Amino acid sequence: MTAHAVGTREEWRAARDELAKLEAEYGELRRKVTDKRRELPWVPVEKEYRFDTEDGKKTLAELFDGRSQLLAYNIMYGPDYELGACPGCSNLGDELDPTRVHLNHRDVTLICFSRAPIDRLIAYKERMGWTFPYVSTYDSDFAFDFGLALKPEQAGQIPELVQMVENPPSWLEDWSRQVGADLKDGLRENPSFIAFAREDGTVYHTYTVSAPDQFVAPYNAFLLDRTPKPPPEEPRNWRKDEYPQS
Amino acid sequence: MTAEPRIGTEEEWRAARDRLLEEEKELTRRSDELAAKRRELPWVRVEEDYRFETEDGEKALADLFAGSSQLMLYHFMFGPPYEAGCPVCSSIADTLAPQVPHLRARDTTLLLASRGPLEKLLAYRRRMRWDIGWVSTIGSEFNRSLGFLHTEEELRPFLEGEIPPTVEENARSCGTDVAGYVSEGPGMSVYALSDGTVYRTYVTTARGLEPAMAFYGLLDRVPAGRDEGGPAPLWIRRHDEYDAT
Repeated sequence: MTAHAVGTREEWRAARDELAKLEAEYGELRRKVTDKRRELPWVPVEKEYRFDTEDGKKTLAELFDGRSQLLAYNIMYGPDYELGACPGCSNLGDELDPTRVHLNHRDVTLICFSRAPIDRLIAYKERMGWTFPYVSTYDSDFAFDFGLALKPEQAGQIPELVQMVENPPSWLEDWSRQVGADLKDGLRENPSFIAFAREDGTVYHTYTVSAPDQFVAPYNAFLLDRTPKPPPEEPRNWRKDEYPQS
Repeated sequence: MTAEPRIGTEEEWRAARDRLLEEEKELTRRSDELAAKRRELPWVRVEEDYRFETEDGEKALADLFAGSSQLMLYHFMFGPPYEAGCPVCSSIADTLAPQVPHLRARDTTLLLASRGPLEKLLAYRRRMRWDIGWVSTIGSEFNRSLGFLHTEEELRPFLEGEIPPTVEENARSCGTDVAGYVSEGPGMSVYALSDGTVYRTYVTTARGLEPAMAFYGLLDRVPAGRDEGGPAPLWIRRHDEYDAT
């Protein structure tokens, strides 16, 4: 017997109809927030940044690749990570390639940033079988200026972060082993989406969203929100080629 | 771009961003609440002996779990008269296919299900290069009971009205007529297997499928947004059919 309440079709239908109203309300709220997101002011990027890419040095404007909007996912993969990027970020990365073609045809260039040096990003990209442009923010102020990474002295001033480093839960200790970095360095990277617009030769910063926003979570979370079993209590993730054999 | 953007300073952006963050946090909270409420829905025992044609022969619904205790089916619009799958469902499959190993590791099997003959489904899957299982439903009752198959009589008011150009275009691109195209409905259904019994736990369609279109969430974060108000509101193409740009 299942521990869960079992009902008739009619009971399910009645409960589902009630839930549908809440889902519709949520959808309406989400649309309103989306509209407000686009009312944020655009901030001109005046500093000149240079990035290491697979095709040599590029400026921020060049990363647009001819389109007028740039959306980047900042994968937690700092210079101190010995074993590769954060597994949860890697799960999200798996999703980006197949959806990228649709964005490219909406005038959006989709790329990923990480702070590890470019040769390590290229090797990791190959291992994961990714095709999106992977750009290194190594040796640049960019990640620090836009809140995509913290300097050690900044990290030391955030009590929640210090607490997590000093008394990590076991899943976070495992995470530290998965990426091959001490937590004090590993947690200085900030998983985020960051958006820019380019108009008349000027690049504008328009939006950033960081964890723990639900949008900066692996996409399987959206699907698992719809399955009957309760979600796991700890946010453990594995790279797609490292799942424990069950 | 729809409206003229407002240019501001970093401080102005930060202040506006902080206000918006409160609303985004509320969205996350509401979304978690919805997930919990979905899990409170009663489970409904599936009494019918539905059969499916799969790459490994004919199977029952319980067999499709393939070792997991949860099953998620995406009802992909590919009816018997279709020559190719629906372009919008194809864009959804682009999002879903890479999730298969991640869900599998979380006790969940994700499959595509359609009414079209299995050979056609598998040929189309090869073309689209998706690594996800696809089953063909035998007979009509499975889709019908979920509300994802419409009869001619149900469709008559729609078919006698003015057909949106995008529906005509999609029907054409699937190699069928409008009636054939819209008799299939897209949807997602979710099941639990417990002590050998299959329970239906959740079903959704239409706007409920949006999370399975990852590009919409991403477009919601760039300045131009979805930008679907123009004369060609439905811009989605199969990933191998976009004009080269």
